[in-house]
Amino acid sequence: MVEYPEIDRYSSLDSVMHRFDPRAKLIAFLILIFSIVLLQDLKLAFIGLLGAILFLIASKLPLRFVLQHIKWVCFFIVPFILIMPFSVHGTGIFHFHGLTLTYEGLEYGILVAVRALAAVIIVLPMIATTRFDITIKALGELKMPNMLVQMFMFTYRYIFVFVIEFQRTWRAMVARGFQMKTNLYALRTIGKALGTFFIRSYERGDRVYQALRARGYTVKPKTLVEFKMRASDYVWTVVIIGFAVSLHVVPFVEVT
Amino acid sequence: MVHISDGILSLPVLAAGWAITIALIAVALWWSKRRGNVEEEIPKLSVMTAAFFVASLIHIPVGPTCVHFMLNGLVGVILGILAYPAIFIGLVLQAVLFQHGGITTIGVNTVNMGVGALIAFAIFRVGSMYGSLVVRKELSAWIFGALAGGVAVFLTVIFTAVSLILTSREAFFAVAITLMLAHIPIMIIEAIVTGSIVVFLLKVKPELIGGLGDDNK
Repeated sequence: MVEYPEIDRYSSLDSVMHRFDPRAKLIAFLILIFSIVLLQDLKLAFIGLLGAILFLIASKLPLRFVLQHIKWVCFFIVPFILIMPFSVHGTGIFHFHGLTLTYEGLEYGILVAVRALAAVIIVLPMIATTRFDITIKALGELKMPNMLVQMFMFTYRYIFVFVIEFQRTWRAMVARGFQMKTNLYALRTIGKALGTFFIRSYERGDRVYQALRARGYTVKPKTLVEFKMRASDYVWTVVIIGFAVSLHVVPFVEVT
Repeated sequence: MVHISDGILSLPVLAAGWAITIALIAVALWWSKRRGNVEEEIPKLSVMTAAFFVASLIHIPVGPTCVHFMLNGLVGVILGILAYPAIFIGLVLQAVLFQHGGITTIGVNTVNMGVGALIAFAIFRVGSMYGSLVVRKELSAWIFGALAGGVAVFLTVIFTAVSLILTSREAFFAVAITLMLAHIPIMIIEAIVTGSIVVFLLKVKPELIGGLGDDNK
């Protein structure tokens, strides 16, 4: 029914990406993602995808885990690839039932798919190689407003609590003979179950706040993790950002 | 489905999305700070955000396919203006934890869902204020709760279609239309569920409705 976030399941492996400083890793890969999604040329987009795959291989994440995490993007991309070859005007490749499959549409569809795939692949070496709470702390180090950092921390932690809580509610409903169908009765029952769930969450929020206050919580962050940039971190940062920049600069240099 | 993934939108659309999102988050947080009790607000708001996040992971079978809730209307009705940062946090986590939606598109996706949530909040606020004069309070809450839930999804889908069409009218028009048609059943489901939740909350815990930590509560 609902699944746990398992993005940092393999964060305890050891690879060059796992050893990469989380702050530099975030900055460098974010720049690379932005660089790739803005590419207009199919060949360059494929080079970007290739680079993304190389960084993924360097992170030594298991293939099963990778496929599980990129499958959603594939679902999202399918309608684009199916519809765009017919909706973009241009040189027709073949016709059937009054629809024309155009070369331009096909090319644009593939470009969109390649950029989307490359971007989602880069997210894995960027996020899956560090424990997620450390990633959030790294965001704080990178000057993200403290209120947002704190919200990320709390929200992330309570997701796990609520997945368990919702599974319990759901089990109780099924045990009493509830079946999920698309009818008014089922939807209203779901509504009431969710209502109960939100009330419990709200009351839990109250208790969490009181417990935090009792232990001296102020919004100021206190972190146990020390970040330290090493020589290899600088090298990787330069390599990744250099790759991101060259995707946009090199083609112009070649032309002139 | 309405979380647009990376690699689709053009630079101006992405940039506009980020600009609007950053501005609205700043306004929401400034508003909450001005009222003084930030350290009280943050844990509560975050815990509710986590609850909404989990609720949006629930899959509902519709015919041959499966949809999941958006609940942005409900987030608006419960959290008020703070719905906007809550949705931002939710979408960032969706993108990095489950790869639903993209990284570069977080700004645009937050606008698409968040503005719908804010308008849902306004609809419910104004509607239930005057609605209860005409019909029973419970019925009025159901009507405006359902309306808020439906309108929020409707606006999200429209905004998503607009962000696609602004990127490339020619290439994405057909995709945008398909997207809108595919969301009609989801809109109806969300309206019914949101209406039910709002009525339930009004009976059991009325202080949850109408903007978390609101002044006139």
